[in-house]
Amino acid sequence: MKLYCLSGHPTLPCNVLKFKSTTIMLDCGLDTSSALYFLPLPLVHSPRLSKLPGWVSKDGTVNLEKELKECAGRVFVDTQPEFCLPERELLDLSTVDVILISNYHCMMALPYITEHTGFSGTVYATEPTFQIGRLLMEELVTFMERVPKAQSATCWKNKEIQRMLPGPLKDAVDVWSWKRCYNMQEVNSALSKVQLVGYSQKVELFGAVQVTPLSSGYSLGSSNWIIQSHYEKVSYVSGSSLLTTHPQPMDQSSLKNSDVLILTGLTQIPTANPDGMLGEFCSNLAMTIRAGGNVLVPCYSSGVIYDLLECLYQFMDSANLGTTPFYFISPVANSSLEFSQIFAEWLCQNKQSKVYLPEPPFPHAELIQTNKLKHYPSIHGEFSSEFRQPCVVFTGHPSLRFGDVVHFMELWGKSSLNTIIFTEPDFSYLDALAPYQPLAMKCVYCPIDTRLNFHQVSKFLKEVQPLHVVCPEQYTQPPPSQSHRADLMLELQPPPMAYRRCSVLGLPFRRRYERIHLLPELAKSLVPSEIKPGVSVATVSAVLQSKDNKHVLQPVPKPVPVPPSKKRKRLMEEVPDLLSPKPLLSGAVPLEAFLASLHKSGITEVKVEETADGHILHLQAEDALIQLEEDATHIVCDNNEPLRTALRDLVLRFLQKL
Amino acid sequence: MESNCSSLLSAVCEVLPNPKLLLPDDTSLEKLLDWFKDLINHNDGQYIKHYQPCLLEFLHTMTKSEAVDSTVFSFTLKLTGLLASKEDSFNWLQERGVLLHMFDPDSWHEIELWKNASVRGGWLQGLWNMLQYQQAVGFFCKTGLIKLLLSLQNDESFFLSSLTNQILVHVLNLVTLPVLSSSIESDAQTRPPVSTDCRSVTAEVMSHVTRSLSSEEQAAVASGLRLLAVTVEQCRDPVKGQLWEHALEPLEVLVNLHDDSLNLSVMAVLQAAAKSPFFTNPEYKVETLIDAMLYSKNTNESLQCAALILQVDSCPDHLKKKATDVVVRPLLCVTASSTIVQDGCDSLLANQLSQKASCVPLLTQSLSSIADFVFKNSLDDVPIRSITSSVIQLLKMCIGHQPSTFLRTAASHVIGCCKIQKYSLDVLQSLADSKESVDFLQEALTVLLLYLQCPDTHATVFKKTYQAVLKWLGVSSSSPTVLETISHDLYPLLKKLVCDGRWEVRDSTLEFIMQLTAAFKGNPEYNEAFRNSGMISVLLISLSDGESYVQASAVSALGEALTDTPLCASFQEEAVTHLLSILSKDAESFPRRAVMKVFTSWLKSPLSFTGLDNHLSSVLSLGSSDFDWEVKVQTLEIVDMLMDNSLSCSRSSQGRESMKQPLHRLMGLGLFDLLLKCLFDCDRPVSQKACALLIKLRSVLRETDSSEHSDDLTLDISSCSWGEEVLQRFHRKQQPEEWSSVKNGAPDSLKKIHLCEILELLELEDMQCILSLSSDHVINSPRSVMEDILSAAQQSELNVVDCY
Repeated sequence: MKLYCLSGHPTLPCNVLKFKSTTIMLDCGLDTSSALYFLPLPLVHSPRLSKLPGWVSKDGTVNLEKELKECAGRVFVDTQPEFCLPERELLDLSTVDVILISNYHCMMALPYITEHTGFSGTVYATEPTFQIGRLLMEELVTFMERVPKAQSATCWKNKEIQRMLPGPLKDAVDVWSWKRCYNMQEVNSALSKVQLVGYSQKVELFGAVQVTPLSSGYSLGSSNWIIQSHYEKVSYVSGSSLLTTHPQPMDQSSLKNSDVLILTGLTQIPTANPDGMLGEFCSNLAMTIRAGGNVLVPCYSSGVIYDLLECLYQFMDSANLGTTPFYFISPVANSSLEFSQIFAEWLCQNKQSKVYLPEPPFPHAELIQTNKLKHYPSIHGEFSSEFRQPCVVFTGHPSLRFGDVVHFMELWGKSSLNTIIFTEPDFSYLDALAPYQPLAMKCVYCPIDTRLNFHQVSKFLKEVQPLHVVCPEQYTQPPPSQSHRADLMLELQPPPMAYRRCSVLGLPFRRRYERIHLLPELAKSLVPSEIKPGVSVATVSAVLQSKDNKHVLQPVPKPVPVPPSKKRKRLMEEVPDLLSPKPLLSGAVPLEAFLASLHKSGITEVKVEETADGHILHLQAEDALIQLEEDATHIVCDNNEPLRTALRDLVLRFLQKL
Repeated sequence: MESNCSSLLSAVCEVLPNPKLLLPDDTSLEKLLDWFKDLINHNDGQYIKHYQPCLLEFLHTMTKSEAVDSTVFSFTLKLTGLLASKEDSFNWLQERGVLLHMFDPDSWHEIELWKNASVRGGWLQGLWNMLQYQQAVGFFCKTGLIKLLLSLQNDESFFLSSLTNQILVHVLNLVTLPVLSSSIESDAQTRPPVSTDCRSVTAEVMSHVTRSLSSEEQAAVASGLRLLAVTVEQCRDPVKGQLWEHALEPLEVLVNLHDDSLNLSVMAVLQAAAKSPFFTNPEYKVETLIDAMLYSKNTNESLQCAALILQVDSCPDHLKKKATDVVVRPLLCVTASSTIVQDGCDSLLANQLSQKASCVPLLTQSLSSIADFVFKNSLDDVPIRSITSSVIQLLKMCIGHQPSTFLRTAASHVIGCCKIQKYSLDVLQSLADSKESVDFLQEALTVLLLYLQCPDTHATVFKKTYQAVLKWLGVSSSSPTVLETISHDLYPLLKKLVCDGRWEVRDSTLEFIMQLTAAFKGNPEYNEAFRNSGMISVLLISLSDGESYVQASAVSALGEALTDTPLCASFQEEAVTHLLSILSKDAESFPRRAVMKVFTSWLKSPLSFTGLDNHLSSVLSLGSSDFDWEVKVQTLEIVDMLMDNSLSCSRSSQGRESMKQPLHRLMGLGLFDLLLKCLFDCDRPVSQKACALLIKLRSVLRETDSSEHSDDLTLDISSCSWGEEVLQRFHRKQQPEEWSSVKNGAPDSLKKIHLCEILELLELEDMQCILSLSSDHVINSPRSVMEDILSAAQQSELNVVDCY
């Protein structure tokens, strides 16, 4: 069993598991943090961004004026942002049989994998994952296609040139594998390969293994997966949460007793407690609004935003924010808000029960009804006429490189009354803000990451007790910025196996058993004999049939009586000759009793020699040797067949026959 | 009333022995007992005359009745003891065998009664009531009741066993009284010498203690230790010493046993011994025993012992020093950096600190003891410096800000631990008073601000942090760095925290702002910084908070901020408008109460509040018609102040003539109408206060010239709620016989009555007297209690008839 690690990002994993005869890809996350090296894509013409100077090396030898622009003391690539894909050279992706998706954030690289690699398998995901994943992909494509940039920049990627570049650009790795965003057609084609599954539904893969999604509590439809055969169980834990937010709670008990547990998707901000951050979010928001400023919340269009809206719904009255408008701007804003209300069966119990009442599960419906929350596909059109300040705007993309958020950064960045509150933990907020400097706007960083923290995960692992744990190497040491926090790492016995991008791990367990079915008529013919209390054995002679990774023992066909016609003759030839097998012996020869029986048979002169494995008996008068060992007995006597037979019979008296 | 009581009492005494009687409630018999106790203790002649024969007869009846209710029987036992506390009744009871019957359970008709805890409790109470003088003690000793009493010392009910301990101490003190020192020698001579019975009682108690301490049963040991602790603490000297000598041997065994469950009891004994004079006597080995506990292998035990030693004032310094070391060790050990070799941190302690289950309790105990002795300032050579820096480090560790320490695992136990945070903040707060605090000021403020910034800080921790911040800001309140910290770091944080989602945080933040303003009162730089910080508008916004507690705190904070701070009139005006709207519209009472308090403090303030003066009459009318009695009382407080200001001022300065104008002004404010309305208010505190103010007003008016009482002071009673009441009194006094004729309508001439006349009409002193009685004085009177019992007795008879 092997694990191929195609992504080094702990929360955007992409691993391939070879188990029995199947090749299973676990998630295909897309690392979009590479977008931070690129200039923002403004929706409205920005004089500031269009007038940036091009980059020329100090000595003037390298001139990349067209590709690189200097902005706020840093150099950015001036083309459509590119993303860091999972590794595609480590193994032939066309051999992947299935892809299991655990949540909508972890499927964003799907089109890169399923298209143009020869992939011909199936993708399994739950319905909300599929639907919301589609929304996020559509949104991403729209963001990119709305601001087309014809030229692509590749010169800077040249190793020699990259080495000379300033700042973070110089240290970017694997830049050649970065790719531009896919298009709508590729998204549709990729999603057509998705097969929907429900929690706890068992899916057979070629009869060899069974895969089952379990609720992971992180987002709508998010799942962990169990991959098991009859005797082996591998658990794959990706973004999971034990907090009571909107999704169904995490199913922990089904993950018990795994041979291997692959652990990914822990919280990215282990020092920030989501509740505290939510409080921080609300108080900063209220403080800004009270002072007459606007609040900008760069966020994804699904996920934490539902919780933020719910929290604000409760907070608004106590903080006197009753009249402040909230705007949610995204090409998929409407669908996202409405989808969340219809996935009743995927919600937590509390919200599920609301489905039977005349009120929607999420309070954002009420916010919309009362006109407190308004949603628009983009800043163009209706929004511009209805826009009222001070207000709160939720919009993407959290990287601040594309999407409507770019416009608000340009619009509000100059006033210290306004505040930008970062809630998504995926991007470094300082890097995200780099091209907007100098910025007068207040910045607040309250990353809300509801995924498991180290404390919860160590409790969880104690509970489910896997034999081996595999995890990204980042989890085996404290975060670099807080090297003194021994509590922010996994400390397990035995220590977890760590992986990084491009690792290939041989998983530390060997398959020892395979299940084989006995047909009833064959079972009936067996004669078990008890070799010790509770253990009976029988010999089986049968034909083993293997088909679709299932093995069946069938009775040996009886030799057909003499064929009446020629037609039968061919069949006769295929039937193997049935030789009744020799009986199998079991038991041990007790030395004292054996000597006594030799004595009884008239063999008196026996010299016993002790060896490492047993005893050697010298029958001096007969000039013969009997070697008694734990698993073998040898009788050595030259050309004295009667003696050998007699001795053999004596030995056999002490043994059982099967 | 009292004459009727005796007939009631005899009726009650007749029904009480009936076992089928259902008492109205559990407390009625207790109330009766309280009444008797009052009568007996005040040696009221009435009692002797009216009630004693009947009660004695009742007791006599009870000795004869075979079936009795346990509650009534318990009452009887207590009453017997109470009556026997006076010698004449004692003799009467003894002669008729009542005493012996009551206190000897073997002679009861129903021996099962003893199993009832309330009966045993009654027996103990009765005994205690009785044992007031030598004759009763003699009776106690002679009848061998000590055996029964000692058996209750280990009673399953903790209340009974502790009551027994108290009685035993009382008995020991009584039986050993004659051999006391010279001060009462003359008295002792008149007493009979200590009888052999009494001596045997002392001996019994001592052997009981020894027996209990060496018992196999833990419950017996524990109760023995409790008795020992109480006797060592409360008994007189010879008997105390003797007891200790008896108990010493088994006690030594117990101390060296280091049994966790007995620890606290052993500690209590040692603490009592440490406070007693024989602490210094080496024969009594108190110090040896304490040493054994202090250096026990059980860290918890040694910490508890150390904490106990530090509580004893008279403890010698060397022992205190040892104890301090033990107390401080866990704190120093957990915060020790890896580079410093910790000699104090032995492997045992380190091991316990590495385990979560023991780490948190150890640290909290250490911290609470430190906070205690730092607060009491009980030792001069306490290492205050290292404690301060350790506590600051520990606080940083708790929020994950401290780099690696000697004990890495311990660090992970304390991260996010609210309990340790709270205790550490307590210590830090008390350290602000130390001499060395100035050197740590910046560091302490930094860590406290970190706590205010940290989004995970628990609401209760916030509260403690604020208290500590306030204390530390006071260390050097005039220093420019402190003021800079306040305006640059603290104000922005406070602005955010008043927007917090948790109301507790908003509430404590506003409270803190109020305390901060109060603490820096009169500091011009602070006032300047406060004015420029925009905090006032933050407070004004908080006035409309959704949570009433928070609103109330915002009101108080705003009030404090505007009280001695000269601010522009527009701010004042805005604030008054806001507060008035809360007073008139708010549904919850806390903000309204706060508003009235603020108005009061503004009126008291030397700065003039022109903004408020124009609104005084609406404040008074809103306040007096409020639903909440506290608001009304507060309104009367304002009235009091207004009266004081205008009347006393003019009386002292310009003589009698000038009373006219101030009275006229008060009349204009509707103040007299308000007072009379409040006098007849349904809430007692309101009427009480109004009554006191009216008496005050009356005395002022009596002093002034009657010619000054112009017609302006005439009140139109027909339109007032209190008019009817006054009218009734008027007629009752004037023409009682004509009263009936005018009952249905006041003639025109009576529509207006002069204020002075009204005040003379109302019998204010009588009213005040009635109002001063508690509101339940009627239902708790003995008459009412007995009537209840009697009606219950009738009811239970009726019920029997109803059912069959």
